[in-house]
Amino acid sequence: MLPPFGLARPRSVSAALAELDEDSVPYWGGTELLLAMRMGLIRPRQLVDLKGIAELTEVRIEDGELVLGAGLSHDEVARDPLVAEHAPLLAYAEALVGNARVRAQGTIGGNLCFAEPRSDVATVLSALSAEVRLVAADGTDGADGTDGADGTRERRLDMAAFLLGPYWTDRQPDELLVDVRIPLPVTAGVYLKYQTVERPTVGVAAVARGAAGCRLVVGAVGELPAGFDFEDVASVDAEAIAGELEPTPDLTGSILYKRHVTAVFIRRALAELAEKVSAP
Amino acid sequence: MSEHELSEQPLDTEIQTHINGRPIARRVRNRATLAQFLRDDLGLTGTKLSCELQVCGVCSVLVDDRPVSACTYLAVDVDGRQVRTVEGLACNGKLNALQSAFVENFALQCGFCTAGFLMMSTSLLERNPDPSEHEVVEYLDGNICRCTGYEPIVQAVLDAAGRIRAAGTSDD
Ligand SMILES: Cc1cc2nc3c(=O)[nH]c(=O)nc-3n(C[C@H](O)[C@H](O)[C@H](O)COP(=O)(O)OP(=O)(O)OC[C@H]3O[C@@H](n4cnc5c(N)ncnc54)[C@H](O)[C@@H]3O)c2cc1C
Ligand code: FES
Ligand code: FES
Repeated sequence: MLPPFGLARPRSVSAALAELDEDSVPYWGGTELLLAMRMGLIRPRQLVDLKGIAELTEVRIEDGELVLGAGLSHDEVARDPLVAEHAPLLAYAEALVGNARVRAQGTIGGNLCFAEPRSDVATVLSALSAEVRLVAADGTDGADGTDGADGTRERRLDMAAFLLGPYWTDRQPDELLVDVRIPLPVTAGVYLKYQTVERPTVGVAAVARGAAGCRLVVGAVGELPAGFDFEDVASVDAEAIAGELEPTPDLTGSILYKRHVTAVFIRRALAELAEKVSAP
Repeated sequence: MSEHELSEQPLDTEIQTHINGRPIARRVRNRATLAQFLRDDLGLTGTKLSCELQVCGVCSVLVDDRPVSACTYLAVDVDGRQVRTVEGLACNGKLNALQSAFVENFALQCGFCTAGFLMMSTSLLERNPDPSEHEVVEYLDGNICRCTGYEPIVQAVLDAAGRIRAAGTSDD
């Protein structure tokens, strides 16, 4: 049974911002928040339903970036024509999140804000050098930021600055994650994951960079996605990278096992990337 | 948080929804799940509850054509939306093509998982009328059946897809 709570249903970002505080929290799909409330981990006074805010489900290209509204479901991202054209790697990963209900109900913004360490979305967005845009009502004690539109202040963070630890982000209670921004063009990329239960054991994203280089991100295995940049893919030592990580041991494997699987998946991802890059 | 703070704000909400096409207006507790609303308030017990973690799929229903886990979805969130449950599949007491295919392919034994599989399969066939076996397996991968071994379920869905496509072409 869920604990009792009040409900606000704003129709605009500014109306939503007026409702937010430590004890009044936003939600979209509820796939994470409702579980946490049922387990007694959080007991907000009020929930702020974001589903009535149309602008949070937009997809567009703006200033050389692919802009994805925080309220897009995984399924909507996976099937969006602009995403398919400009960031097929994200579309591919989104189509493999959880199960069909989680993909239809859960959102990209909710996934990032909950910061569950075994996220596919955060791993791929890190590899794509994406940023999140956070907005708060002006005059509140939000963190430092530039001025946004009409009485709001906003700031942009890359994944490394946004994700601080398991279930912990830099989002302040008065801030809304409004959209995710992926710089274009996106070069060839690969995402490979190993998953036997609801969430991945390891997820490896590799995106081509420069003439022979790549950006490699290993997610799900440790507390945060770990990113590495290489000038030359040939110089990557998969064992050394896996050895640097601190895997979280759990029912899906020990530290030793997860290091091993991680090295295997890094090698496979880089081999697949090399194939993609050499294909015309 | 004190009880006083809580009581400043209503803990329930007036909603208007359509359940299997029927308009329903009710006051529901904000904390009620869709599964509780369907089963306890409306007596629609075809939707089951088990894991309450969005893992087993016995609570699958469609909200505005989207499959959701009614165990972890607020009843207030169906306000202004259309809900479909297993009770809405048969027409005038006659099983629809998908339900008939489940019966004929022995796709159920105890039946506890069946409503969930039917609703997920309905959702799949609406977005993809001609799925491959692999696509059926992938789409139903969030539903658990402890009896059938899954193969009869996959066969039933493929069988139903064929029947629905055949009926569609003969109507043209
Ligand atoms: C069974 C299961 C399997 C899963 N498998 C995977 C998987 O394989 N890979 C993967 O990556 N993920 C997986 N997930 C996680 C899933 O992606 C997330 O649950 C989902 O995307 C969260 O979105 P939501 O809209 O439901 O968030 P909610 O539960 O509504 O919110 C989550 C948190 O984010 C906050 N929040 C939500 N939106 C905003 C916003 N716009 N601004 C500020 N704060 C906000 C809420 O306050 C809350 O703290 C799985 C989840 C489940 C239940
Ligand atoms: S009871 Fe909802 S998924 Fe298991
Ligand atoms: S028929 Fe018994 S669980 Fe599926």
